[in-house]
Amino acid sequence: MVLAHKMALASSMVTADAIEATEFPELSEKYRVSGVPHTVINQGAGNMIGAAPEEMLVEEIKRTLNQK
Amino acid sequence: MGNFLDDNITKQIKEVFSNLENQVEILVFTSKNDCEFCDDTTELLKEVCELSPKLKYQGVDIDSEGSLVKQYHISRTPAIAVLGQVDGKMTDFGIRFSGIPAGHEFSALIHSIVSVSRQDAGISQETQAYLDSLKSPIHLEIFTTPT
Repeated sequence: MVLAHKMALASSMVTADAIEATEFPELSEKYRVSGVPHTVINQGAGNMIGAAPEEMLVEEIKRTLNQK
Repeated sequence: MGNFLDDNITKQIKEVFSNLENQVEILVFTSKNDCEFCDDTTELLKEVCELSPKLKYQGVDIDSEGSLVKQYHISRTPAIAVLGQVDGKMTDFGIRFSGIPAGHEFSALIHSIVSVSRQDAGISQETQAYLDSLKSPIHLEIFTTPT
């Protein structure tokens, strides 16, 4: 199970969409996806490139929310 | 057997699905217009849902069922939503897949179904505590490829 989906299951505040990048090239281009997995947080406010451990994704989510 | 899942895969999935607890509903959103992988996704998910009585398949044509498209925030096809029961009520956790779930995605989907059914996210207590403290919504989009 993808980590983001685990978070969605664990919290009603989190939603997660696993997107097949080659099937949606416009979206991949919009977020400049060049390698996978690539996690986009809140429409590009944050990014996580590569398969990150749980704590790292949490840190990036915190950073994304704090920069508002 | 169906067209997508051979005997070996079917056996493996059934084994994983022996861990299912509560009912899971799989919504598959498709369109007849300009959707290369919609038919294959429909067929694949129907075959998966046939492997356990605890799984319910529901196909949604986005061109004729606008209210469901809105309710589940669907903006592209094919899209899959995995719903599970909380206190006996079918609940949307915001778990989505966009595009045909092949390769790694397929395995992720199968495991998502089991986790949703068991209400077991399998994250650390620290992460759970942080998620419980969230005051604003987080939307994660994970880009992957089939291989």
